[in-house]
Amino acid sequence: MSIARFSPFELLLLKSRSQVDTATLLLLAWVLVHRQHVSEGQRRRRLAQVTAPFRHGHELAPVMSIAHSQDLQAIQLAAEVVRKECGTERSLSIIHQAITVATDDGELSLANHYILRFLADLLAVAPGTLNTLFKELTGTPLTTPEDPSRDAYWQTHDPDYHSRKAREAAAAEQRHREAHARAEQQQQHKEQRHQQKQQKQQEKQQEKQRRQEEARQSRERDQQRQQEQARQQEHARQRQREQAEQERQRSQRQGSSQHERRSHDSRQQRTAPPPPDRTARALSVLGLTPGATRVEVRHAYRRMAQLHHPDRFYSESEQQVALASARFQRIKNAYDYLMQTY
Amino acid sequence: MRDLYQRLAVPPEANDQEIQHAVASCQHSALRQDAEAVFAVAARREVYDALHDTVSDIGRLRARLGLSHGAHWQGDVANDFSLPPDHAISRHDEMVDRVSHAVSLYNRWRRLRAPWLLIAVFAAGIGIGASLGLALCWGLLPM
Repeated sequence: MSIARFSPFELLLLKSRSQVDTATLLLLAWVLVHRQHVSEGQRRRRLAQVTAPFRHGHELAPVMSIAHSQDLQAIQLAAEVVRKECGTERSLSIIHQAITVATDDGELSLANHYILRFLADLLAVAPGTLNTLFKELTGTPLTTPEDPSRDAYWQTHDPDYHSRKAREAAAAEQRHREAHARAEQQQQHKEQRHQQKQQKQQEKQQEKQRRQEEARQSRERDQQRQQEQARQQEHARQRQREQAEQERQRSQRQGSSQHERRSHDSRQQRTAPPPPDRTARALSVLGLTPGATRVEVRHAYRRMAQLHHPDRFYSESEQQVALASARFQRIKNAYDYLMQTY
Repeated sequence: MRDLYQRLAVPPEANDQEIQHAVASCQHSALRQDAEAVFAVAARREVYDALHDTVSDIGRLRARLGLSHGAHWQGDVANDFSLPPDHAISRHDEMVDRVSHAVSLYNRWRRLRAPWLLIAVFAAGIGIGASLGLALCWGLLPM
């Protein structure tokens, strides 16, 4: 058993001539405290008026101070006393007094909405009865309390709501415009860079085309030269043949051995010259054998580039990435070389 | 009336920054809009906090008085502010217990006071007699 001191309200209750009256007084004071736009003196006078017939026999000031301190234990004690002692008749009269105290001008504060409903539940007053009583006393039906946890409540109750919204919207617009301008600037920068890059690429392509053109021309020149050579050789051969026939006419045996040697020489000249060393190495880098076509080279390059691209090794160690980029560079060099010369 | 603090999972005494963070990370767009409307302005938050305190007090009272399922306690309020039943004993019973404890202490004191009074009177008589005797001895010796 606790030997704690008695709280102020317990002392008040024990000294009171009528415990129910003291408890009711505290509950009414609690309702009054939650009434808005009322001064302290008005509250006290109103409480004194409403509780004139009460037989508690003590001052009202301590009750008001307890109600102001929102002492939950005292309110609980008062509620228990009231619930224990009150019959139906007394319950209705308490609700009646509470409504009067809460709404002198017909306006019920949000907190009092919930307090009145709590008192009605405590005193076992049905919702229908409470509604009728409220309507009789104030002339307006008891509405459901408004909800300040919603946007709509502030739309109607905050006079600054729309101006504030407009200001916020203007600020958001401003921010949006700034962001837009910045994005546009960035876009311009990017376009400029892109154009520069494109120009460079075009130059490079032109360079490449020129080089290819040159290579083709030189090849054609080679071919022409070869053809001319071949023609000249043919001429020479014809001439030789004519000479040989003339000679054969002169001596049959000597001419046959010379013809054999000449045919051997011409066979060697007709086979293609072996590809230079660098081309063969580039082809082997791409995993191809000498004699691969241009299309094959391109396909091989794409496959190898996919396999060895450094971005594939991004999740692994830095060393792997470095190795992969070295490999990739080698493959790319080989491909570039082959594309230029092939 | 909904408990926005509970729905945003922040304590009611959280500062503005924490609440801004919780509101920004809220998934429910309608709830986020309402929370922004309430918490963006300090005055609105004050009003909301005052009502929130009162309603949570009522929720606590209802839990202690066994009124968590009353006819007037329905909807959002009942969902958000009802607490699990409290097993705290009735304040009235506790007061009656303490009063009866005080009364029994008082009674015991009243009961014990009579014998102690006798003993005290007896001791006082012995004391007076002894002092008188001593005084007489001191008075006789010089004579």
